[in-house]
Amino acid sequence: MIRQSWYEQSARGRLANLLDPGSFSEFLGPERREMSPHLALFDLPRQFDDGIIIGTGSIEGHKVLCAAQEGRFMGGAIGEIHGAKLTGLLHAACRLQRDVVIAFDTGGVRLQEANAGELAISEMIRALLEARAEGVRVVGLLGGRAGCYGGGSLIAGCCSALVISEQGRLSVSGPEVIETNKGVEEFDSRDRALVWRTMGGKHRYLIGAADIFVDDDVAAFRLAAIEALRVPAVLDQSVLAGEQARLELRLRRFGDAADGIDVWAKLGVARPAELPELDIDAFHATANACREGADAAR
Amino acid sequence: MRDWNAKGRDRQARREAGGRLAAGKFIEPSKLVAFLEAVLKPGDRVCLEGDNQKQADLLAKALCKVDPSKIHDLHMVQSGVVLPEHLDLFEVGIACRLDFSYSGPQSARIARMMFGGQIELGAVHTYLELFARYFIDLTPQVALIAAVSADRAGNLYTGPNTEDTPTIVEATSFGKGLVIAQVGEIVDQLPRVDIPADQVHFVVDAGRPFFVEPLFTRDPAAITETQILTAMLAIKGLYAPYGVRRLNHGIGFNTAAIELLLPTFGERLGLRGKLCTHWALNPHPTLIPAIESGWVEQIHCFGSEVGMEDYVRARPDIFFTGPDGSLRSNRAFCQTAGLYACDMFIGSTLQIDLSGHSSTVTGSRVAGFGGAPNMGSDARGRRHSSDPWLRAGREADPEGNPALRRGRKLVVQIGETFGDGNAPTFVERLSALDLADKLQLDLAPVMVYGDDVTHIVTEEGIANLHLCRDKDEREHAIRGVAGYTEVGRARDRKMVERLRERKVIQCPEDLDIDPLDADRSLLSAHSIKDLMLASGGLYRPPSRFRNW
Repeated sequence: MIRQSWYEQSARGRLANLLDPGSFSEFLGPERREMSPHLALFDLPRQFDDGIIIGTGSIEGHKVLCAAQEGRFMGGAIGEIHGAKLTGLLHAACRLQRDVVIAFDTGGVRLQEANAGELAISEMIRALLEARAEGVRVVGLLGGRAGCYGGGSLIAGCCSALVISEQGRLSVSGPEVIETNKGVEEFDSRDRALVWRTMGGKHRYLIGAADIFVDDDVAAFRLAAIEALRVPAVLDQSVLAGEQARLELRLRRFGDAADGIDVWAKLGVARPAELPELDIDAFHATANACREGADAAR
Repeated sequence: MRDWNAKGRDRQARREAGGRLAAGKFIEPSKLVAFLEAVLKPGDRVCLEGDNQKQADLLAKALCKVDPSKIHDLHMVQSGVVLPEHLDLFEVGIACRLDFSYSGPQSARIARMMFGGQIELGAVHTYLELFARYFIDLTPQVALIAAVSADRAGNLYTGPNTEDTPTIVEATSFGKGLVIAQVGEIVDQLPRVDIPADQVHFVVDAGRPFFVEPLFTRDPAAITETQILTAMLAIKGLYAPYGVRRLNHGIGFNTAAIELLLPTFGERLGLRGKLCTHWALNPHPTLIPAIESGWVEQIHCFGSEVGMEDYVRARPDIFFTGPDGSLRSNRAFCQTAGLYACDMFIGSTLQIDLSGHSSTVTGSRVAGFGGAPNMGSDARGRRHSSDPWLRAGREADPEGNPALRRGRKLVVQIGETFGDGNAPTFVERLSALDLADKLQLDLAPVMVYGDDVTHIVTEEGIANLHLCRDKDEREHAIRGVAGYTEVGRARDRKMVERLRERKVIQCPEDLDIDPLDADRSLLSAHSIKDLMLASGGLYRPPSRFRNW
C-alpha cells in the first residue's frame, strides 16, 4: 500500500484522513468569506478561511472539535481571523466539555497583523487552559511543512498531549530568526540536519517535549490521535510543580549542550550521531529506553 | 635558424623559477602567491580549473593575491566561472580576457562586468567546444587544477569528480604548458592514478578537500502535479513509441519527475527493460528508485554528485568505477557520448520562441551554456543507426531515400507553460536577443536552436515539430501546447485541431492520459529521505537537503 504523507497533505486533506469518514462539519467555512481585514492593506492575497479550518467530527466514534492550519497559506501564520476561529473553538470545547484535536502547521504570528495576532495567541492560551481546567483534552498533531513555531509553539506547549513525526518541528524561535538575531555562528539556518537535530520530531520526543512519535503517515497520525484521546488529561498544581522540576533538571543536564547530538549522548543514546538515520522501529527501541518523560504540561 | 622548442624552453624556465620556491614538486601554501608570481607572465593564457561542480578554490584565492603590477592581462580559459574569485581577477586587473562555458552563480555579475568593459569576452562556449579549443587555439600556458590527493611523485587521484581535469591536463601538459595541482592531502599510496605524475609539474597541499557543490539533487518533495503530468506525457507519448533506450536527462524537476515515474507509471505500462537502459548522466539521486528496480543497465557520468559516492561504489555494474571502487567521471567523454551515442536529450528551459529556439537567459544574466547545447543538438557526424534515430529521421523526411536519409536525435524541451514566478515559458521574442543587443554580442545566447528541437512537452500536450511541413505549422504546433500564455492564446483553433488530427499535437486525452491521475502518489520517492531509504542507506544527502 502506498503510504500517504501527512507532511504533504493540505489542511483539509489532514482532517479528511484524521476524522471518521463523513463525520466532519465545518464552522465558518470558506463560503462565509471570513477573511483577514489587514492583508488587503498590504496588497496581499487573502483566503476565504484565513488559513485555518475548524469544525466538529468524530475519531473512532469519539466526538471531537478539530482544527487544521494550512501551512501553504502564508506559512500557516496566525492573524486576527485565524486566531479568533481557534479561540472560539476552544471556548466551545470548554462549554461542551468536548475534546479538541489541532493539526498545527504554522510559523507563528502573521507579521502584517502582529498586534491582533499576538492578542489572539494570548486569548487562545487562556481559552485552552480554561478548557483544560474543565478536564478537556487538547491534542496537538505536529508534522506539517511549516513546522510549529512562534506563538503556535506556545499553544502547542499548553496541549494535554502532542503527537509528532520526524518531519515535525517544534520551537519558539525558528532557524532564520535565531540566525538573524544571534548570527550564523550560533545557528546556521541552512544546515537543515542541524535544524532537525535541535527542533525536529525525534529530538522533541527524546527530551519529552512530545508524547507520541509516529511515521509521516496519515493513518499513523489518526491512530496516535485515538491513543492520545484515551489518556486522562489532568491539569492541576501538582502537574505544574512536576513539570517545573523537570524543566529545571533539563536545564541542569543539557543547558550547555550545543547540538542535539550532545543532548542525546547525555541521555544515554549509544550512537547519537546515527540517531537521525534510524527508522521508526529502531528509533522507538532506542528512544523509549532513554527518553525523558513527557508530562501533561510541558 | 628557428628554435623549434621555444615552448618547451619557456616551460623549463617557468619550472626553474617555480622550483626555487618549492621543495621538489611540492609548494607550501604560504609561498603560493610568490610561487604564482614566479611562474606566470603577463598575457599568459591560464586555465583556472572551475568545473561544473569542483573548484580549485585555493589556487583561485592565491591567484587573486598576486601583484597586478607584475602579473596582468591574463587570458582566462576555463569552463566554469563559478567562484567570486574568478571575477575578482578581472576587477583587480590581473586578468582581462575571458573564454568560458558556464557561469551559473556569477551570471549577473559577469554580465555587469562585460557591460562595464572590465571583461573582454572571447566567446561563451559549450563544454566540448571549449575543450576542443584547448587543443587548437586556446591551449593554456598554465593550468591550475584540483585533485583529491597526490602521492609523493605527484601522481594525482581526482576521485569521483574527475570532470574536466584529464582534458585540461592533456592539452596543457602536452602543449608544453605548466600544470599546477591543488590537492586535499598527500598520501603514500593513491587509491588509483587519474593523472600521471609526469604530466604534473607542481603540487600544493591545501590540507582540505576542494570545494564541490551538489548541483543535481532535486528534492522529490518539490515536484508538482503539473510536472508529473508532463512526465507521464513524455513517457507514454515519446519514450514508449520511440523506444528510447539511450538518453541524457537535463537537471530540472520535470526530468526528475520522469526518473521517479519509471518504477511506477512506466512499470505499469510494461516498459521496464525496453526503455532508459543506457545513460549519459550525472548520478542523479532521483534515479535511485529506477536503478534499484532494475531499469538501468549502465550510466556514464560527466561529474559526480555530493552524497552519491557510497551508492555508486556499491553499484559497479551500473557506473564506471576505478579499481578502487570510486566513480570515474569525465566531462569531455561523457559530452561526446551524449552527443553521438544517445538517441534522446530531454531538458527544461526558461523561454521558447515561435521558431522553437530556447534560452535560459532572463534579465541581465549571462549564465553560459554548459553542456546542454551539445546534448540538445542533432549530431550531423553520426553514422550508426538505431530505431529511435531512424524513426525520427523518417518523420522529418518521409519522402527521402531511406538509405540516404539522416536519422535524427530526439531533442525534447519539457516544461510547464508558466514557469517560476508565473513567467510564461513561451514568448514572441527571447530575452537573449535583448541581452545580445545590450552587450553587442555576435550571437544571441541560444541554448537549443529551433531546428534541432524535435518535440516540446507541456502540461497541454506534446508538439512534434519535425512533423511540421512549414513555418506556419511549426508556429501553431508551438502555440498549440503553449496553454494560456499570450503565445498560446493567439493560436488559431482550427489550425491546431488539424495539427492534432495529424498527431503533430497530442493532448493528454489523445494519449489516454487523464490529467487527474497526475498525482504525487505516482512518485516512487516523495522526499530526499525516501531516496536515501531506497538506496539502502548508501546515499548520504548533504545537510541542506535533509528534513530529518
